[in-house]
Amino acid sequence: MKRSVHRLFLVSFSALVLVSTGLRARAQWTPPTEEELKMTAQPEVPGAAAVYLFREEITDDQLHVWTKYARIKVLTERGKDYANIELHQYDAGDNGGYSVSDIQGRTIHPDGTIIPFTGKPYQKVIEKSQGYKETAKVFTLPDVEVGSIIEFRYSLRYDDNMYIPPDWFVQSELYTRKAHYLWKPTDKQLVSKGEHGEELTSGIAWAPILPEGYTVKPQHMADGQQLFELTVHDIKPTPDEEFMPPFKSLTYRVMFYYATYRSTDEYWKSEGKKWAKDADKFIGPNGKVKEAVAALVAPTDTEEQKLRKIYAAVMKLDNSSYSRAQSAQEEKAQGFGPAKSTDDIWTRKRGDDDEIAELFVAMARAAGMKGYVMAVTNRDRDVFVPNYMSFSQLNDLIAIVTVGGKEQYFDPGMRYCPYGHLAWKHSDANGLRQTDGGSALAQTPDEPYTNSRTQRVADLKMDDHGEVTGTVRMTWTGAPALSWRTRYLLGDQTGLQRDLHDSVENLLPAGMDIETGAITNLDDYEQPLSAVFQVKGAVGSPTGKRLLVPADIFVANEKPTFPHDKRETPIFFNYANIVQDATRYTFPASLTLESSPAKDEELYQGFAAYKLDPAATPTSITTQRRFELGTIFYKTDEYPNLRNFYKKFETKDQEPAVLKVATASATPAGE
Amino acid sequence: MNFGGHSLCRDGDREKRFGGRVCPGGKTLGVIAALLLISATSPAFAKGDSVPDWVQDAAAQKLPTYPPETNAVVLLDQRTYTVDAEGRAVKHVRRVVKILRPQGRDEGVIHVDYDKDMKILSMNVWSIAPDGHEYAMKDKDFTDEGFGSGDLVFADDRFRVAHAPGSDPGGVIAYEYERRERPYMNEVTWDFQGELPHLNQSFTLELPAGYTFNTVWAHHAEGAPIDLENRRWRWEMNNMPAVDLEHVPLSPSPASLAGRMTVHYGPSGLGTASTWQSIGQWYAPLIKDRMEAAPDLAAKAQQLTAGKTDFYDKAEAIGEFVQKHVRYFAIEMGIGGYQPHSAEDVFHHLYGDCKDKATLTGAMLSAVGIHAELMMVDSERGVVDPAAPSLVGNHMIAAIEVPSGYESSRLHSIVTIRGKRYLIFDPTSELTPFGQLEHDLQGGYGILMDGADTQAVLLPVLDPALNTIRRTAIFKLASDGVLSGTVSEKRFGDVSEYRREIFAAGDAKEQRDLIDHALQHDFTTFNATDVKAANADSLNQDFTLSYGITADNYARSMGALLMVRPRVLGSLAPDTDHKARTVPIDLGETMQATDEYSIELPAGYAVDEVPDPVKLDVGFAEYESTTDVKGNTLHYKRSYTIRQVTVPANRYADVQKLASAITADEQSRAVLKRQ
Repeated sequence: MKRSVHRLFLVSFSALVLVSTGLRARAQWTPPTEEELKMTAQPEVPGAAAVYLFREEITDDQLHVWTKYARIKVLTERGKDYANIELHQYDAGDNGGYSVSDIQGRTIHPDGTIIPFTGKPYQKVIEKSQGYKETAKVFTLPDVEVGSIIEFRYSLRYDDNMYIPPDWFVQSELYTRKAHYLWKPTDKQLVSKGEHGEELTSGIAWAPILPEGYTVKPQHMADGQQLFELTVHDIKPTPDEEFMPPFKSLTYRVMFYYATYRSTDEYWKSEGKKWAKDADKFIGPNGKVKEAVAALVAPTDTEEQKLRKIYAAVMKLDNSSYSRAQSAQEEKAQGFGPAKSTDDIWTRKRGDDDEIAELFVAMARAAGMKGYVMAVTNRDRDVFVPNYMSFSQLNDLIAIVTVGGKEQYFDPGMRYCPYGHLAWKHSDANGLRQTDGGSALAQTPDEPYTNSRTQRVADLKMDDHGEVTGTVRMTWTGAPALSWRTRYLLGDQTGLQRDLHDSVENLLPAGMDIETGAITNLDDYEQPLSAVFQVKGAVGSPTGKRLLVPADIFVANEKPTFPHDKRETPIFFNYANIVQDATRYTFPASLTLESSPAKDEELYQGFAAYKLDPAATPTSITTQRRFELGTIFYKTDEYPNLRNFYKKFETKDQEPAVLKVATASATPAGE
Repeated sequence: MNFGGHSLCRDGDREKRFGGRVCPGGKTLGVIAALLLISATSPAFAKGDSVPDWVQDAAAQKLPTYPPETNAVVLLDQRTYTVDAEGRAVKHVRRVVKILRPQGRDEGVIHVDYDKDMKILSMNVWSIAPDGHEYAMKDKDFTDEGFGSGDLVFADDRFRVAHAPGSDPGGVIAYEYERRERPYMNEVTWDFQGELPHLNQSFTLELPAGYTFNTVWAHHAEGAPIDLENRRWRWEMNNMPAVDLEHVPLSPSPASLAGRMTVHYGPSGLGTASTWQSIGQWYAPLIKDRMEAAPDLAAKAQQLTAGKTDFYDKAEAIGEFVQKHVRYFAIEMGIGGYQPHSAEDVFHHLYGDCKDKATLTGAMLSAVGIHAELMMVDSERGVVDPAAPSLVGNHMIAAIEVPSGYESSRLHSIVTIRGKRYLIFDPTSELTPFGQLEHDLQGGYGILMDGADTQAVLLPVLDPALNTIRRTAIFKLASDGVLSGTVSEKRFGDVSEYRREIFAAGDAKEQRDLIDHALQHDFTTFNATDVKAANADSLNQDFTLSYGITADNYARSMGALLMVRPRVLGSLAPDTDHKARTVPIDLGETMQATDEYSIELPAGYAVDEVPDPVKLDVGFAEYESTTDVKGNTLHYKRSYTIRQVTVPANRYADVQKLASAITADEQSRAVLKRQ
């Protein structure tokens, strides 16, 4: 979501300039304990490269300084990399900035020898443009070896007219034995500068995601100074597993705000209303959109007919999220200024994904329907956290239109998403929607598993030597079709042909020669997408008298989905779907079918199902396979059963059909 | 060290040096010379946003037919390299690119690099959008970007970056810049072949009176210059095809195929010879005194070699110290891309880049009476061309002189130069055993940097027996298809590198993932237990991994038959395709793999069939496998040896044959029949 995001940017209300004394005493180092010097591993994270013995972040608003301190025990060769430190700083002129200063560091060997860092950090340019300069101070701590404790601290100093509340990211890639966080907020009256002007802040709010037993409690010192403090122990590293939910926004953390609201409900209600109003201002509809809709739809059309015509019209626009955003210079050259309304988007026949979603809503409204936009947190990267009072967690806009008295969800910003559907990353996702006169937190509907389907059909003729020639036809609907069409949008048909070829090559037995043929319905997003391939080559494993061929050729290279017997996090699939396969081998008289896999069905608690159904004639065998995944989220404790279900059918998938060589002239390939 | 580059330069510039960058140079351009130069080469600016005539002319050309996967074509690339009387050079570049596919949009992002010893004197960017609209960018549209963030290198390289409007298929991107080159260089390399086809391109050399030049050519026949008079020469290289190896299996490095010309220039009789000797003489002052053994460094060398009298033992102790105890951390500013820090500084901080580590190795060895020199190489085989002396290379290693008459079975990576033997050692390669050479460098050329005695030498291709995988396993098969047993896998050499890294420095999860991901290639269900790793840190001993395994449904029951794959573990087939081969085949590394598995068969079953033996020797590689039955045990044994690292394109049929034979053997089944 590129526009309508309220920025939590804070400025001194009193315009008082506070100056750091610059005379702060050098902080003391922590003497290492004998245990710390001698430790060789952290039992909770066997083999870990390093652990935080201690880390500390202190934010002092009066001084406009963040002080950061880390003590890291190096446990393996790889852990030495933590001695290489790069600290970024930036200067954005009137828009603020911060600088790194007071860098100190030292290395302590396991025998207690201390080697101080006496060098001067190098400063390198990261990016420099008009009004913006980002640089980094780079240094490495001296003489680091496995077993060393490395320590460093530095300060980040912010501009005097800025107050930036801290974000404490408690969980990191390393195990943390102990960490301490402290914030001394200013007691000055501040204003928040956002898109809706300046607002007085009314207090401090925070969104904690912390392990059980930890809370952040505000305290007051005798002198009236407010404090926020947190000390944590034994924090595990951020989990990293396959099929993991989007945990990016759910690691342990505390996000602070100088809030202008007393509660999250009040925040979303009030800020949401402003957001909705801003969105309406852009959406309209205004004159050009109304004109366009009048030309597009007939008065006699039903609401659905109108909306389908509108949807088809916006789908034809250049969606710059998949092509390229035009620069201001290009827009100007074409006679356009900044887009101020959906009229501008329609006029230039181009917009990004959000602008096109807004245009669709505008056109629906112009056709007499109720239309709203909804900002969602994309399910492929994050989870919406209502307690986190920030619009920054909202990614994309989708559309809600009342058709025939019923609200329906649309994804016009997702080029090639069929009418009335959502891209999987926008389905079953939370966010903020417009309502009549305001906004509300809401959840998008999910897409049933029947909407996303992959059909794979192989029709293969085998020769006396066991080599096959034939066709493979792939057909996709729903999420997989959208995925392929998106690849096409980001490249071209030649690139798509290459990608399709490579994907089929990965599915089929090694060494087959594959040629990509016709691709059908590439632009007709309401229809299934299909592609045909000519294939040739050896598919089976010869034994001399027999040839073992994969009953379902599309799972010949299948690997176990869940090879690990242990699991720490829940299991999360992108989307529910059906995969249907059919493989037909027609073989010559020199080969006869000796055996084929038995019919099989497996069911996982009504959430997933598998069926294998081979059928033979004297000269052919056809194997049909169907896999349905109905539910996308499984709790951690469900893992053993889910894994067993996968193991069962993936084992079944590997059962071959056995062909017997009936005549002496026939010799399976590879002999 | 900042020696050279791995990828082809997109804009024909070669600016990388030892450890990541490459070359050109010159001295400070005088004011008058600069004015004259600018006057002579300034573009014909049209008013407003209209593009210069030379861009229009380039854009108007009729294009030949290119393969459909061609992202863009270079319509024009003109380089003029002007050296003033003081030896300082200015490079003037004009380049016009037409984008042909959406995948070519990146060509609209222009990077002109510089560092503290270079200066961009002018830069202009134009473009013609597919709709014909013309654009001219302004200085304020450009950004400066650093070398990058988050890597281990601090370098002062910077890029002036422009994002040109109209960067869509059909769009034409043009730019022109002038850059004062590094003052200390006397060579410039023109990379006239790259990832994109080039329609028209030229390189013009302008030298002051009293200067001479020489050229060398790599991967392309020498081209004759056109004498433009007034000490100006031009080389043209039109209709140059792209080097596109993106979808070529077993492909060599693109830079090992791309044509390039290197020019050496200087006052008559000084520094113009395009010889390795002149390269060495240029480099000698940069390393003079850097390899001196200061007292503390010498003391450490003495301590490491105390009690050792054998040459190899002493060299190994010092080599392994630098290999293991000096962290790779590169700090390169200006000439620091070529010049190492002093050995004393490296020893003091215990970090450095490749040339720092090689220098420290040499210094410490000298403290114990062993002589060593630096050796320039490129991490991609075939980039350094012995017939084209230049500073093109991206890595520095050590060449340790072996005492005359010394013999040892441990000397493997040996070259002989002018009757002297050198042990080639890369202290930056932390997992290559001392005495060996990582496979990327084998079969390539190294440049022994020894002043006037500098010369190129072919680096050895090591015996396959020094790079081995030896798997043995004993299994028992139950009648329900469950396979259980114990596996031992021993690896030595480069093929052990990844496993050593994971088991020496990775955490428990990484170790589990490695085993599970390796086993999932061969089993649909499995459980690995009692995993033990040994010698992860001992590079001169086999890395050994052992574990127990149980795999359900390993044997498939089909009626009265039980199908068993005798090749239980491991995949060795090379990746091939079905296309005609035009470029050499890079087999990666010499190696030897052996697998020996025994499977005790379930009672009540008799062997009905076993796979036929396979034996295929194609010279550069050999594969052999047998499956036998002795009593109630199935024995599978195979060996695979790769003897060469590169083979010519015309041997591709043999590679395909090899791949096919190995794949078929790996999938072959034995058939058991219920009695």
